[in-house]
This record gives sequence, structure tokens and C-alpha cells, in this order.
Amino acid sequence: MRIATAKESYQLDEALFDSATQRTWAVLLGVALVLYPFLASDYWLYLACLVSIHVASATGLNILTGYTGLVSLGQAAFMGLGAYTVAVLEHYFGTMFLFNLLAGGVVAMLGGIVVGIPSLRVKGLYLAIVTIAASFLAHFLFVNSGFTGGTGGMTVPPAQVFGLALDTSFRIYWLIVPVTVLMVLGAANLFRTRIGRAFIAIRDRDISAEVLGIPLLRYKLLSFGLSSFYAGVAGGLWAYFFRVVTPESFPLIMSIFFLAAIIVGGMGSILGGILGAIFMTMVPEVLRIMVGWLPIEGDTLQYVAPVRTIVFGLLIVGFLIFEPHGLAEVWRRVRRFFHLWPFRN
Amino acid sequence: MSHTLTRVPAFLKRWAAPVGLCLGLSLASLSHAQEGGEIVIGGSIPMSGVFAFAGVGIHAGIGDYVKMINEQGGIAGRKVSYVPEDTGYKVDVSVAAFKKITSQNTVNLYYGDSTGFSKTINPELERMGNILMTGASFATEINDPEKFPAQFLVGPDYTEMFGILLKYIANEKPGATVAFVYSDTEFGRDPIETSRKRAEELGLKVGAEIMTPPGSVDVSTEVLKLRRANPDYTIFHGYVLAPIPEFIAQGKQMGLKSRYMGTFWTMDNSTVMKMGENADGFMGVMPFRYYYDEEEAPMLAKIREMRPEYQSTAYMQGFMAAMLMTEAAKRTLEAGKELISANLKASLQSIQNFDTGGIIGIPISVKGNSVPVGRIYRADYAAKKMVPASDWIVLD
Repeated sequence: MRIATAKESYQLDEALFDSATQRTWAVLLGVALVLYPFLASDYWLYLACLVSIHVASATGLNILTGYTGLVSLGQAAFMGLGAYTVAVLEHYFGTMFLFNLLAGGVVAMLGGIVVGIPSLRVKGLYLAIVTIAASFLAHFLFVNSGFTGGTGGMTVPPAQVFGLALDTSFRIYWLIVPVTVLMVLGAANLFRTRIGRAFIAIRDRDISAEVLGIPLLRYKLLSFGLSSFYAGVAGGLWAYFFRVVTPESFPLIMSIFFLAAIIVGGMGSILGGILGAIFMTMVPEVLRIMVGWLPIEGDTLQYVAPVRTIVFGLLIVGFLIFEPHGLAEVWRRVRRFFHLWPFRN
Repeated sequence: MSHTLTRVPAFLKRWAAPVGLCLGLSLASLSHAQEGGEIVIGGSIPMSGVFAFAGVGIHAGIGDYVKMINEQGGIAGRKVSYVPEDTGYKVDVSVAAFKKITSQNTVNLYYGDSTGFSKTINPELERMGNILMTGASFATEINDPEKFPAQFLVGPDYTEMFGILLKYIANEKPGATVAFVYSDTEFGRDPIETSRKRAEELGLKVGAEIMTPPGSVDVSTEVLKLRRANPDYTIFHGYVLAPIPEFIAQGKQMGLKSRYMGTFWTMDNSTVMKMGENADGFMGVMPFRYYYDEEEAPMLAKIREMRPEYQSTAYMQGFMAAMLMTEAAKRTLEAGKELISANLKASLQSIQNFDTGGIIGIPISVKGNSVPVGRIYRADYAAKKMVPASDWIVLD
């Protein structure tokens, strides 16, 4: 427990950053995010943007699966809907990028609500199977709708800000990271409100939630809609970042990637979504760098490459065995160590 | 009890990993020293994942050619260095590898692992302006010097491969019926539209166009469609192996008279021989010779010296890719020009009637972004080898 943090009003109690220490760290993080593009190389900027997009999507999935308890394997499909919306709008109408991102989010939201309708009748793993259908439906739409470029997909021109094209990692960082920060803060804020608490109630025991007066269908669909809105905006950012969208860009394995990210990070906490996305994106790259240091002579890439994949898998399994509540719990334990030092517990 | 004495090692234990990781990451961000004057070939190579069988071969092929050329003194006195990264055939990992390699080296030549990567990185290539790129893709879309000015294909594109097959069929059996069996992916659909027209121009009849889901196992309904069309030749495209053996086996059971053909990625010796007895007579188009080809080929002899065991068609592709890229660099430097994409591409397109040392049986010329030459090979199951079934066919 942190000392000297007694609150005198409910409002203060509910604050996202409720102590001077937390606020200082938040400000430091903000400063670090602003300074990062000026210090990082192109490779690290690329990774930062990619991590940001994954964080946005993982946060959306966390709202649905971590907080509302509705397991979904359709996150990649909704990202695809958002990405294709942005691609189509840019190609045919040339509208402003902010509008395109919002439109992408809305289209994905509508898709999510449609896919979420079975959630009133099926639960748990059965719902997960139903959401797999989203991937196939989306793929079919992308390939066969006349205006989406078929199997070849579409190229996306770079986002334009007052005539400046956001075509390098440095420039697009300033679009992706602020949007992601806004979305994460929005999600954190959501769980201070009635809607957020309703989601948690549905996860814990949906029958009791209904008895308490929470209309299940409305809130479950709201959860699907919100999480797919997040996925749609993340998909739109993805489209502006990679500048090519094809039907094969959003396979089922990507949905599994995000599910793994929130499980490893810690379901049911915003920090868990962030840490999980960072882990899943960065660990393979960090392993690549670490392997580059090993004093192996000659041509061993052939053997080293699969070993990296094995180590990554072992890390995921290891984290889940030793900390089932995910990286967020590891984070909290480290924090507790600092709070309680020099005491042990 | 002295707590400080027991707590120090515990403290170290807790901190060793995070501090080590931080130090490591900060060290990693320092780019390693430029070996002055080296010409770097960067590679996003799919060493793991679905395309690993090809990635391993491509990696060996490029590596061997670079070794060979360095033994001969490099290009215009400069050594060639090959910097690969594994990508698992994923586009975002491929782009990350590209960014990593180009931020740590001055890269002038690059090998990409997929059509998706080639399309995604194209705007970046145009922006950077100093890289000539090729890769494992034979996509028709990339065979467009206007849209992909810094890229080229190591051989014919898929439409040209079909063109070579159709030209052979038209010669062997004028007016024959052909069937196209392809997978429902960008890879599979690539050449079908244009090839249908090409077949009709050559006086061939397209009896059936059968599309299957990419990972399909049960193809009985599709084989029935094939039986109804009763083609003289069936061309498979968009697959590596499955479901071709199923088609051939069931086709033979139904007494279909069709000869079966495939495109580049199906044509490796080990892949074809996996079909078992049904492999006998399977044909396809190959832009390169096989490792064991008996015909006179000094480069093949050198490869057999370097590598006593069989090397796949992917190896040949990687070897040729390195050959063409380094030749373009050599011509650029010999003309006293800078190593920028425009100059490298112009040098590449100046490759006309070029002797590949026997990897390709006739002198080759680069047309547009591709090298539209190939030969029909037929599987001889008894000898477990692919034998030539035609002369080298060049498309115009």
C-alpha cells in the first residue's frame, strides 16, 4: 500500500493517476514518447509504430475478452475491415485521414456488432468458434467485392497533413502514437464508468448481471462494437503504415496473436494489453538481436532461425506457468517491491 | 543474522536480467562499423515458416555465389557482403528485417521473400533510391518497370511461365484442350485471366478453370469437373505439392488421359518425387537447370564441387538472383556510375545475350522486369530425376 494517498472524495479516488509519483511517471513517459523519434534509428521507429498499432488492437480485444469475458477470434477480421475502409476511401474519395480512420472504426464496429449477435445464445469457446467465421466472411468480402481490388489488394497513398505526406516511420509516428495513447486512455477511462462496470459484471456472472438490471444483449453488443471500433482504427493505422492491404494481410493467425498478447500480458487490465502487445511484437526482434551477438562463426542462420521461434514459444509458456496472471502481475510485483522496500511484504 | 550479506546476491539476482537487457538493447542500437567499400546484398529470407524449404535453398544459393565472386576478387575490386535475416515469410517481420539491415549497412542490392513484401516495400525503395531488389516472387504485377522501377524477377513471371507451357502444348498437340487448376490465393489467380486469352490465341481450348481453396485436401468434386472437361493437358498453379498428387491419383483412377504440368515452385526434384509413382510423366516449366543435369555447364560443375549433395531449385533461384544483381552492380561500376537504383536498373536491362555459365541453357536477355525463358522438364520416376522434354523456349 502506498503511504499518504488517502483520498477525500470519490472523484479523487477514481482518478487514473492518483498520486504524485504516478503523475510524475506519466509525465516522464509522455516526454520519452515525444523525444523517442528524434533519438531512434529508422528500424526502432518502425518497431515503435508497429508496437503502437498492436497495443491499440490488443486494448480493444482486452475490452471484449479480458473485461467482458467474450472470447473472440475475429480481431484480425475487424482490423481488416478498418484497413480496407481506409484504403477504399483514400482510393476513391481521397478524404481526410482522420475521417478515414473514424470511418474505418465505424465500419469495423458495425461488423463487430453483426458478429456479436450470437453472443446472446452461445458462450465461451463456442462463441470463439463463431467469431472465427468473421475471418472467413471478411476474407470473402475482401476478395469478391468488386471495389476492393480482389486478391491483389489495394495500395494506400500516404496520409496527408497540410500537404505533408506521412510516408516515413518518423512522420507517421506522430499519427500512430497519439491516436494509440488516446485510445488507451479512453479504454482506461471506460472502466471507471457504469458501462465498464457492467462489462465486468457480465464477465463475472452474466446471469447475475441480468438480474441486477443490465440488459445483456445491449451491453454484449456494445462490447463487441467498442472492441471492433478499436480494431478498425488500428487497422486503419496499419493501412497508412504498410500502405498495402491484401486479403491475406489479416489471417486468422493474427487474431490468435492478439489473443496470445492479452493472455500473456494479463487479461482484464489495460496495462496487461499494453505489455502483452509489446512482448509479442518485440521479443522475436530482441531474440534476433541477441542471437546476433553470439560468437557463432560461419553460416548458422539456417539453424538459428527456428531456434528463435522455439525460444519465443518457450518464453510464452514459461510466463504463463510462472505467472498465470500475466506480465501485468509481474509489473505489479516489481512495483510492490519498490513500494515496500526495505520491507519484503 | 546479517541480512545485508544474504540480500546482496538476491538483489543482484533480481536486477541482473533487466539491467542486462537494457544494456544490451542500448548497445544493439549502436550500428556496427561499416566495412568500407563493401557492396552489401541484404536479404529477407524465409528460413522458418511455411516457405522454409525454399528459404534454406535460396540462402545457400546466394551465399555460395557471393563466396565465389569474392574468391575471384569481388566486383571492381570491392568485396561483396551478404547480410541475411530470417522472416518466417511474414510481411511485417520482412519489413522489420529490411529496416534493420538498411539502418546498419549501406545496402545496394536486396532479396525479398514474398510478393507481399515486394509490394509493401516498393514506396520505401523509391524513396531511398539506392537499392536494386529482386526476390522469391514471380508475380506478374511486379513485371512492370513503370510501377516497380527498382525491382526485377529472377526468371519469367507466372503469366510467362504459363505462356511457355502453352507454347509447348501448341507445338506438341495443336488445338489441344487444356485445364487450369489453381488455388484461391493471389499467387494462384495471378496468371489465369491473361493465360486464358493466350491459350485461345494459340488455338488451344480452355476446357476448365478449377479453383480450389489453398489448403484443400479433398478434391473429389474438382476431379469430377476435370473429368467432364477431359483435357489433354492440365496445368496446376498456386500450389507447392498438395493437392496435385490427389488430382493425379484420382484422375488416373477415372482413366483421364490428361498430361499434368506445374509451374516453378512445384518443380523441385524432391517435391515431384513425393507424388510417388504418379509422378512419372509429370511435366512443368523450369527457368533453370537442375543440379544433376548432365549437359555441359561450367557453373553447374562448380556448384557440384562446392556442394556434393543435391541442391534444390530454390538454390538455383538464389544463385541466379545473386548472379544477376552482382552483374548489374559490376556493369554500373565499370561504367564509372554511382550505385543508385536508376543506374543499377539500367545496367540490369543492358544484360542481353548473357552467358550464365549453364545455369540457364541459352544466353539470356532481361526484358522489362523479367527473364522470360524456360524449358519443359518431365519427371522420370524410375531414375528419380527430371529430364528435359523440350528446347529452351524464349518468349518475346
